[in-house]
Amino acid sequence: MSYSEAVTVSKSSVPILAVVILAVIFGFGLFLVGYDQGHLFSIIQGAEAFDDLFIHELTHDMRHAAGFPCH
Amino acid sequence: MKTLRFIGLVLLAGCFAGIIHGTTNLAIVEPYLDEAIGIENQNLFSSGEEKDTPEFWVEYSSYRDWQKGGQVLAGAILGTSVGALFGIIFAFSRRSLPGNHNVKKALVLAGTMWLTIYFIPFLKYPANPPTVGDTETVVLRSILYLSFIAISGFGALGFYKLSKRLDKGKKIVAILGYAIFISIIFVAMPQNPDEVTAPMDLVNGFRAMSVIAVSIYWISLGIILGAFWQKLQPDKPLQTHTS
Repeated sequence: MSYSEAVTVSKSSVPILAVVILAVIFGFGLFLVGYDQGHLFSIIQGAEAFDDLFIHELTHDMRHAAGFPCH
Repeated sequence: MKTLRFIGLVLLAGCFAGIIHGTTNLAIVEPYLDEAIGIENQNLFSSGEEKDTPEFWVEYSSYRDWQKGGQVLAGAILGTSVGALFGIIFAFSRRSLPGNHNVKKALVLAGTMWLTIYFIPFLKYPANPPTVGDTETVVLRSILYLSFIAISGFGALGFYKLSKRLDKGKKIVAILGYAIFISIIFVAMPQNPDEVTAPMDLVNGFRAMSVIAVSIYWISLGIILGAFWQKLQPDKPLQTHTS
């Protein structure tokens, strides 16, 4: 005798993977715009990046406008 | 919940709201930044650190163009990152937020987050234009500002959790609890150590425009994310059939 059984599983909880990815993006973006003083580029460029302040200058006006301490 | 759809709509909503923020800054905050940097330049000339030469102005124009050009890009990055945090909190709290439409729910959360992690910290440590701020104290000021945001944000979360355990008529106790808590923190946290030496009409005008622009960001984020959520329904239960 054959029979079929239908089971419905509802999945609506917040996926942990999504939370982790979004949390990393939050932290990285906040650091980049609000706090980087050459740290990111120093990984490739070395100590020179702390003098060039490439990211700092790029985000300078937004830092002030969004309320981050700048200089 | 559909993971990719959830991440995609959250990031896109944050990015769009951030672009609106950056564009608003270009229109209403930038004139104050130019004026403040003009004062900085005059101070450099009068102290002899720089000379008022054509070469100086060529270099100045070059980096100011770079800084202004970065407004919208930095707005998109900051908007996306704050939007990511907003998306996480919205996903967890959506069912308990008031309103029968996701835009309304998102706006309620945006208003709450604007107040707790932006406006109250702003009242303690207001935004300042260039010319205000000693380079020597930037690390201390950053720690103070970030700490205040974190304390206020986690405080609000803690009292929200408490409110969920209280009866409907007693939820006001949690709001009062947060108000008392943040008032104590407000008084206890150290002041910004830097003296404001720039003209106060410039500083106050800059701060007012800064608040307007950030507020536009939070309103935009609530509307866009709420509308995307309403349309795409990432938390609509997945139906898994087995037979």
